[in-house]
Amino acid sequence: MIWRFTLRRLAVGLVQLSVLIVAVFFLIRLLPADPVARFVGMNASPEAYALAEQSLGLDLPVTRQFEAFLFGEGNDGGGLFRGELGTSWVTGSSVNQEIRQYLPVTLELITLSFLIAVGLGVPIGVLGAVNPGGAADKGTLVYGLFAGSQPEFSWGIIFIFVFFVVLGIAPGPLGRLSPLTDPPDFVTGAITIDALLAGRVDIFLEALWYLSLPILTLSFVLSGPIIKMVRENVAQTMNADFMFYGQAAGLPRGVLARDALRAAFAPALTLIGILFGFMIGGAVLIESIFSISGLGQYAIRSILAFDYPAIQGVVLTISALTLLIYLAIDVCQALLDPRVSV
Amino acid sequence: MRLTLAYDRCVIFMAFALAACGPSQPNDAESNSLIYITNDVPAGLDYDGAASTVPNSQEGIVNLMDPLIDYAPGGANEEGVGLLNFTSFEGRLAESWSFDDATLTWTFNLRRGVLSCAGNELTADDVVYTFARAKSVSGPAPTGWFLASVASVESFDATVLADENKRSLGSEVTKVDDYTVQIRQSTHNQLFLPALTTFAIRIFDSVEAKKHATESDPWSHDYINNVTAPAFGPYCVERWDKGNEFVLRANPNYYRGAPNVERVVFKRVPQSSNRFIILRMEQADITKGLTPREFIKLKEYDQLQVVGVTGNESLFVHMNFDSPPFDQVKVRQAVAAALPYSWIIKNGYIGQAQIWNGLVPSSYPGGKSTFHDSPEGLDVARRKLVEAGYPDGRGLEVYEDALRLSYPIEKEATLGPIATAVRTALRDIGMPVELDPIPLTQYGDRQLVKKDLPFALNDQEKPIVVDAGYAVQLFFVSSEAGAVNNMINYRNPRVDDLWTEARAERDTERRYNLVTEIYQHLSNDVVWLPVVEYRTQWAARQGLQGFIWYPDNGIRFADLSYAQ
Amino acid sequence: MSNTGNRDESAAFGVLAWIGVGIVSCAVFLAIFSPWLIPYDPTQATENVSMPPPPLSAWPSLFWQTIANGSPTPHWFGTDASGLDVFSRTIEATRTDLIIALSANIVSVIIGVSLGVISGYFRNIWTETLLRTADLLQSFPVFITAMILVALAGRSWVNIVLAMSLLYAPIYLRLTRTEVLALRERSFIEAARALGKTELGIARHHILPNAIGPSLIQFSVTIGFAILLTAGLSFVGAGVRPPTPEWGSMIATGATQLVLGDWWPSLFPGIAISVTVFGFAVCGHVLEKRYGR
Repeated sequence: MIWRFTLRRLAVGLVQLSVLIVAVFFLIRLLPADPVARFVGMNASPEAYALAEQSLGLDLPVTRQFEAFLFGEGNDGGGLFRGELGTSWVTGSSVNQEIRQYLPVTLELITLSFLIAVGLGVPIGVLGAVNPGGAADKGTLVYGLFAGSQPEFSWGIIFIFVFFVVLGIAPGPLGRLSPLTDPPDFVTGAITIDALLAGRVDIFLEALWYLSLPILTLSFVLSGPIIKMVRENVAQTMNADFMFYGQAAGLPRGVLARDALRAAFAPALTLIGILFGFMIGGAVLIESIFSISGLGQYAIRSILAFDYPAIQGVVLTISALTLLIYLAIDVCQALLDPRVSV
Repeated sequence: MRLTLAYDRCVIFMAFALAACGPSQPNDAESNSLIYITNDVPAGLDYDGAASTVPNSQEGIVNLMDPLIDYAPGGANEEGVGLLNFTSFEGRLAESWSFDDATLTWTFNLRRGVLSCAGNELTADDVVYTFARAKSVSGPAPTGWFLASVASVESFDATVLADENKRSLGSEVTKVDDYTVQIRQSTHNQLFLPALTTFAIRIFDSVEAKKHATESDPWSHDYINNVTAPAFGPYCVERWDKGNEFVLRANPNYYRGAPNVERVVFKRVPQSSNRFIILRMEQADITKGLTPREFIKLKEYDQLQVVGVTGNESLFVHMNFDSPPFDQVKVRQAVAAALPYSWIIKNGYIGQAQIWNGLVPSSYPGGKSTFHDSPEGLDVARRKLVEAGYPDGRGLEVYEDALRLSYPIEKEATLGPIATAVRTALRDIGMPVELDPIPLTQYGDRQLVKKDLPFALNDQEKPIVVDAGYAVQLFFVSSEAGAVNNMINYRNPRVDDLWTEARAERDTERRYNLVTEIYQHLSNDVVWLPVVEYRTQWAARQGLQGFIWYPDNGIRFADLSYAQ
Repeated sequence: MSNTGNRDESAAFGVLAWIGVGIVSCAVFLAIFSPWLIPYDPTQATENVSMPPPPLSAWPSLFWQTIANGSPTPHWFGTDASGLDVFSRTIEATRTDLIIALSANIVSVIIGVSLGVISGYFRNIWTETLLRTADLLQSFPVFITAMILVALAGRSWVNIVLAMSLLYAPIYLRLTRTEVLALRERSFIEAARALGKTELGIARHHILPNAIGPSLIQFSVTIGFAILLTAGLSFVGAGVRPPTPEWGSMIATGATQLVLGDWWPSLFPGIAISVTVFGFAVCGHVLEKRYGR
């Protein structure tokens, strides 16, 4: 049953992905500029332009370009079907390699932020819900509404100003490590994990230290919707019939809260999944404020440079990941509540 | 230098009580290491590669590769920044050189015992390889070929681009012996030596470069774009994490003596305000590209210094001759009269700029380019608009698209306020101007390739060959006469003729006069509207000294040292 | 106060609700009447660059002088690096941000709800396709999409509205569809069907009015998010065209001044956006408690 559902969902996902690929490719071909001017630079003679255009493959008709994008140019072993996203026009490096480098940075940042936001948000939300109407509940509600409606870039700037400039107790917006520290060998790309793999606790601590302000900012903003949602769902399930039976049966409150939490789990999962998917592309503001070279920064750079292969790569990666997350949510929902998969 | 964690500075920080430990302040004076924060690290190191037009990449290239010759020192300015003498040259990889007038042939005697980062010795083969590589035009941006053609190196002309059979090196560049090389010109051209000092046509270590050649990439573009540019310069690449960090280590074999600063860490910090606070909190040693206000503010701190020079950076207004109403000289003059010059200097550049009275940087030799003497004011501007047939701007509404003032979105911090002030002033005289910040790439595409940018602020044209005549050839002769960057579609047969004459002129003074005459025409026609020349500045830790300004505005870290 | 069976609604909740309603009314008032309220042209550069606001203690006397003696209005919130009056811009930006947020939501609601009714009521391959397309649109990274759209079609608020509608329409679609799925099995629909009404007629006259509720509640919350997103887009350079007053672009340009000690160009729009979005969030919450299931 669940397998059939998963397989069907997966098939739909594949169709979606193909539509995505076509849409992204042709959308980008509509852009009003190409980076050839950047290449020829001060020598914008028509001959130089033609040569540069040729070296990018932009002289070919769009359909041929699409073919090359899918199957590679000649027998170069490239092409999307072989998992190659092409070569960046700005850096000359492979887009796969670049995404492999930037994606873990963003994933690390938002995963850590979500861990904090969920780790704090769930107990606080439950606290609010189990004492309805109390001071804790009201505080939780107001905090949840407030934090959930804050512009993270504004707070990021304020945090840098207060904690780094005025108080001097936080690191500057220098990315993930001090520029003087040699990063650990690249394994996963997430610096905290790589540091631990290399057995370097000092680098691990340093990375956490450098990431502390961006994580603080993100988890502050993310905690809002999470707290609000946990509070409401737990409160709702506490009102549900089975809880009244439990209360009548004299079960301790802790046990009740645990049951309520379990019942509130499914909507929480959906919310966190959607937020997470959104943040893969949405962390860009925090990345640029804190000089973190993540996927969002890479995307911005690529768009500003009209670097078609890189833009395609980033959009496909983020969208595919997000679709994957939605798929995972659907499958989990189906597991938790078999009615969904009908 | 290894960072030590200062446990005494540990603070309990953030609600989840992570005991985070801040690294101690790096003391670079002792370790001879230096952190340079920059808006971006090099994206490539191949001057024929896609990244070569980006100043950050050029800055990487000039620290790794040395030229045959360079400009001789030319004293220092009031802030102690070293200047160059643009009419006098001295040897770098070449020890001496001579020119044979009859055959138009230059003979370069190479320095002996020059070792590259890989430990290979410099020979004539390296020079020949460099020119052959340039002529192959195998990279997407064949800058080496372009500058050789600007210098009139024989057979490095436009036919190379069109015809695949003309891309191999002939006898124009020949090895005489291991340490002697000859280069032949096709015609007299005073741009030859200046062209050799630029970031392109710097000499490769051919032995090392060839090791990384492949069948599909015989000129090792991949390797040079992604690993290092093998050469004889003062630094070698230690680590390169594109889009994040670029680390240089001193070349121990450097022929001019190992650099004082042993290790340079380029760290990407895209926002200028972030660079400002990082330097202010002394977590880095040097930066550039701050806003004028940030530079002024940094001067307040005793432990920091700000030095600079009025070099070749300037701001002008670009008005396209093919986009009405800018085809009318009266409209261009109205804009010229209406611009809020003093506002721009006082509030846009906080006094770090001066009125620009020319079309080439005032520091460049080779011709005088006088322009307006003083701003004329809004009344004159209104009168000019009446004369043009648009009293109080009536009739200009139809040119809505042309009246969009573009500027690169990446420069919002400095150009944003200036654009707002320009918009205000022009709306005052009735011109319905709107602002349109666009990405630099799109700006370049429209400026250089499509040439359809009607109205723009431009603060980035720096003729890399230091010569007033070169600017004419680059920007102002008609496209038919060979201008490659005539972004405003200006056509004046008289200017074309004068330049043809000046270009081949062997007498320096006569050439100077011809070029000066050209600039008079350009000034009368208001081709560009020069606004200000602004200072090129660096902010650094106190004690760092030895700054020299080069026309590419790249820092040569080998020049720097810490005061004892 | 409301009585919805939730135990946590108490008198204190009323206070919160009033705060929310107050903020939103204030914002709407400012947006409508801003041209008559602002003392300076919000886009005209002046000589008074980066002027700090007058100290709070001087406000009453300055206010009196302005009214009584007709002396020039002080820059209550200071001026920015272009010499623009931050007070006037912060007020005028209410209009810009609300118009964009409202338009994006109205467009999204119209598209989302109608498609939601259709996809919930008729369940076939087409509506399934519709649903999966909505997934797809939502999976697009919004900042990147918006930047591409702006590069494609230039900076204008229409493009921003379009980019945001791509993100928000699927939200309304889903909400409506869930509601419709529950409704279509209800007895009054069966009754309508038994009376021989056409499927389309049922969808329009019986399903739509009953299924639109959750979307209207969501509307208030999403407007807040749309304001945040508009500001975020300005931050990555895909927002409105400068010098149009807009909170996000004011914060973005003001942020560069913060490190120089000029806190006012970014603080006041920052407070404005925080408070406004909070107001909309509270209203959304109140509506949900009152009329939600």
